[in-house]
Amino acid sequence: MDTYILAIESSCDETSMAIVKNGCIDVATVVFSQMTTHANYGGVVPEIASRMHVESITIVLDELLTKANLKMDDITAIAVTYGPGLIGSLLIGLTAAKTLAYIYNKPLIPVHHIAGHIYANNLTKKMEFPLIALVVSGGHTELIYMKEHYSFEKIGGTLDDAVGEAYDKVARVLNLSYPGGPIIDKLAKQGQDVYNLPIPLNDDSFNFSFSGLKSAVINLKHNEEQRGNKVDTANLACSFQNRVISSLTKKTIKALKTYHVQNLIIAGGVSANIGLREAMDKICRENNINLSYPEFKYCTDNATMIGAASYYAYKLGRRADLDLKAMATCKLN
Amino acid sequence: MTSLFLDTSSITYTIAIIKDDKIIYHQTGDSLNKLSDIILTEIDVAFKSINLDIKDIDRIYLVNGPGSFTGIRIGLTFAKIVAYSLKKELVLLSKLEMLSCLKEENKIIVPVIDARRGYVYGAIYDNKGNQLLKDQYIKLDELKVKANNYNDTIYVSEQPIEGVKSIRPNYDLISLIKRHNEVVSNIHTCKPNYLKKTEAEEKNDKKNK
Repeated sequence: MDTYILAIESSCDETSMAIVKNGCIDVATVVFSQMTTHANYGGVVPEIASRMHVESITIVLDELLTKANLKMDDITAIAVTYGPGLIGSLLIGLTAAKTLAYIYNKPLIPVHHIAGHIYANNLTKKMEFPLIALVVSGGHTELIYMKEHYSFEKIGGTLDDAVGEAYDKVARVLNLSYPGGPIIDKLAKQGQDVYNLPIPLNDDSFNFSFSGLKSAVINLKHNEEQRGNKVDTANLACSFQNRVISSLTKKTIKALKTYHVQNLIIAGGVSANIGLREAMDKICRENNINLSYPEFKYCTDNATMIGAASYYAYKLGRRADLDLKAMATCKLN
Repeated sequence: MTSLFLDTSSITYTIAIIKDDKIIYHQTGDSLNKLSDIILTEIDVAFKSINLDIKDIDRIYLVNGPGSFTGIRIGLTFAKIVAYSLKKELVLLSKLEMLSCLKEENKIIVPVIDARRGYVYGAIYDNKGNQLLKDQYIKLDELKVKANNYNDTIYVSEQPIEGVKSIRPNYDLISLIKRHNEVVSNIHTCKPNYLKKTEAEEKNDKKNK
């Protein structure tokens, strides 16, 4: 029998709901993004995000059921992101999910946001194990080893800023608009790697660090301007992006070799970065690694990926009660 | 007619089930910042204890603020999903009016909710629920000046507020809901009644002035 899961994701500034069949087929997805509102403030304002989630919650649900042409009776279970994320934002999706589970008497499946990002890959191509997942977004930079479905072993992560966070901060210093990541990616293509920036945390661990690199960009711009020199934004974007990519590829390849793994998946918002994709493509070809990344539409936050992940959690018997807690930070397990 | 009454706008939540003007279930408790963790379970307990199902209700009365932003949002999210999914009527109530709706009180009532930094959410009501000063975010001192225009006023608040002598409320829920028949016409667009913009919006407004 087919399993249809209605999934809800509201951990940051996207109100999203999706119906996913058997963990791999996107029956319908609705994403209500608040990005243009938060762009007025140069970043996500948590209280505004929470307010907008409540305002759109039933609009998104209505649009979803219409789009899917399904009734709640056709739904097997309700899945929801319980964390990590902005607590006020999480609470709206969580309350909606609990309410639906309660009134329709459906199982409630708790999903970790990062598990969702990883399983976004399953919507394009069935995941093969064992694998290493590199999760890169505005809030996360992690290397995760998966022996099989729904087994997550974190082997490394950022010690300070997440990679997407570093992109946004550097973009601000370079006077680029929000969100800055995609703009830096585009500028990097046009520029040349001429600035002397350090390779971040160039050591033997599987960890990352981007705050030093970010500070180096800020200092370089400041010092050049003090000397009356104009900084070439495209060249600086290119130099910055090259250091980031070099750190990510180096640690990822090392993890694949150490764990004797042939499958690599990249996930999270920054997995949409073209420079990163090209570099990973190249290095994976050279090392005979089977690489996959999500379709662009599944890179940023969406409920489809939560629906994909929840199917495997559901099969393992994972259920939550109506007292499920929202968590700003929580371990992936 | 069977109704669910829900107030999640402050630390003390209220769940009541009302059938034909009689309260058949009533539960209040302190959520201690765990409102989201407990509220669905408490609602489940409420219906089970009187052998009803949430599908059996006709209407939800929801206290839609002012008060705790998070609290109101949890209540309204629940109410919107239920009203949309099960096609139930939704009636939104003011917490300030609820505070003013007391059993056996013949005075002019000044309901107040602490909004910090010398501000409150306040209003002035007579004992029939008529608004003499509309619900607003206001400096406490300013509210006091306005309240001084009336004789025989009494302040009501759930939590003690510095600078005010107030009594704790003793709600008359039946009178409160009997006053209100305004069913929300579009569930999708209804919003919490915060009475206050976010700080980020206030800062932006100042900048753009």
